[in-house]
Amino acid sequence: MTSYAYFFGCVIPNRYPGVEYAVRWVCGKEGYDMDVKDVPDFSCCPVPGIFYSTDKETWLLLATRNLVLAQDERREILTVCNGCLTSLMKASEYLKDPKSMGKVNRVLAQVGKKYTGVPKKSEGKRKVFEPVSVRHYIEVMANDIGLEAIAAKAKRPLKNIKVAVHYGCHYLRPTESRTIDDPNNPVLLDKIVEACGATSVDYEDKLDCCGAGGGVRSHVVDLANSLTQDKCRNISDVGADCIVTGCPFCLLQFDNAQKSFSKDGIPVMHVSQFQALSMGIDPISLGFDTHHVSAHSLLRKLRGA
Amino acid sequence: MGEVEKTFISGLKEELVEEKVIDESQLDPNFAKEIKKYGGKDVMTCLQCGNCTGVCPISLKIDYKTRSIIKYCQFGLRTYTLGTRWVCATCYRCYEHCPADINPAEVMIALRHIAVREGVIPPFIKVAATNLVRYGQSVKPDEEINKIRKELGLGDIHTFSPDFKKVLREISVLIHASKYDKLIGIEDEVMV
Repeated sequence: MTSYAYFFGCVIPNRYPGVEYAVRWVCGKEGYDMDVKDVPDFSCCPVPGIFYSTDKETWLLLATRNLVLAQDERREILTVCNGCLTSLMKASEYLKDPKSMGKVNRVLAQVGKKYTGVPKKSEGKRKVFEPVSVRHYIEVMANDIGLEAIAAKAKRPLKNIKVAVHYGCHYLRPTESRTIDDPNNPVLLDKIVEACGATSVDYEDKLDCCGAGGGVRSHVVDLANSLTQDKCRNISDVGADCIVTGCPFCLLQFDNAQKSFSKDGIPVMHVSQFQALSMGIDPISLGFDTHHVSAHSLLRKLRGA
Repeated sequence: MGEVEKTFISGLKEELVEEKVIDESQLDPNFAKEIKKYGGKDVMTCLQCGNCTGVCPISLKIDYKTRSIIKYCQFGLRTYTLGTRWVCATCYRCYEHCPADINPAEVMIALRHIAVREGVIPPFIKVAATNLVRYGQSVKPDEEINKIRKELGLGDIHTFSPDFKKVLREISVLIHASKYDKLIGIEDEVMV
């Protein structure tokens, strides 16, 4: 069985605690009882739109610090956010180059840390190391837990619920070093939603950006919201009951932006919250009161009222 | 296929490169090299096919043309790239569609590296960097959310635990070692 380390990042613990609760619940005793542990010394990944954008050297130092913590625990990093995924995965790629690794380690020595990768086996006296593995919640659920296991635990009937899934850019791209899913025709999130018993509806420009990434939300919020408005128009055209995404930053963008152009809005949640709902959790534990767009319309439909 | 509707947001328009009068004194012959130094690929190999603009979600909203920006970079028109450095959502669609393997998103990132070194630092960068040094996270913790965490039985955000001080010290050391504190202007009293 694979051992994982939770990597919640910044947005989930500080803005959407319900997502953290849902992830712990699904991965814990109530759910799949996975071997997953907290590493309290993890910091921000660091956020690519800020650090990777302005100083790659600093970005790599801070990201490697996090990777070392997982390496020392011999665990795979379980990210719940596309930003954390792309930042840590890219760092793990950079460190395959011995020159980069050496340069980073010279600085990390100042804080008593060293990145080697995870020792896998010994060939004579020589140890073989593998890069620290960085995984995404969606992919772990689909591949390690499996769609059948997800379907087996789906107790709450969700057949009438129409879901618009949003993958988020950094789950799909860039593909220079990895592919989790087909970047032009991704399927895993749709399959999870279907395994939960709901219907994933297709909509126009499904793979478009939510608008928040790369600092756009922080820098020109009108521009970000305008992109979100286009997505929401396409989503409401197909009559979806809710939006399900694997990224808390996309979640935050959909959740906040909808205030600027619509009165009610379409409820939006993280895939872990949706999964927990299908497994029969009491919705009160999912922290929907911290969401700006009320989830009432969806919950009413769930109760069949 | 119908024509894609462009709904521009006011105040964010620019002209086509072809419509501009370029003065030789504006050209910086080392600009392409500088972009490479900060991790961008060689902009001189760009074919100007325009795929990048075609797939860019931002180009539908403001008159931001990835192809034109790469052209400015080829010419060394440094000042022309100033207004558009922070509107790229880094969605990497341009990278997936670039036949010359330029990765325009990484060129934008290199331009941002150059911008902060010219002292053009948008406030959100400073805020997030300061949050990281102060809390170990780029998002500022929120009292109300912390209350809800407790109601859910999740416990305090780990930033508030006394053991986390050691992490903040490590972050300060690393940020100081790479001189990021000086580059972004993170105030001294924030550094541990």
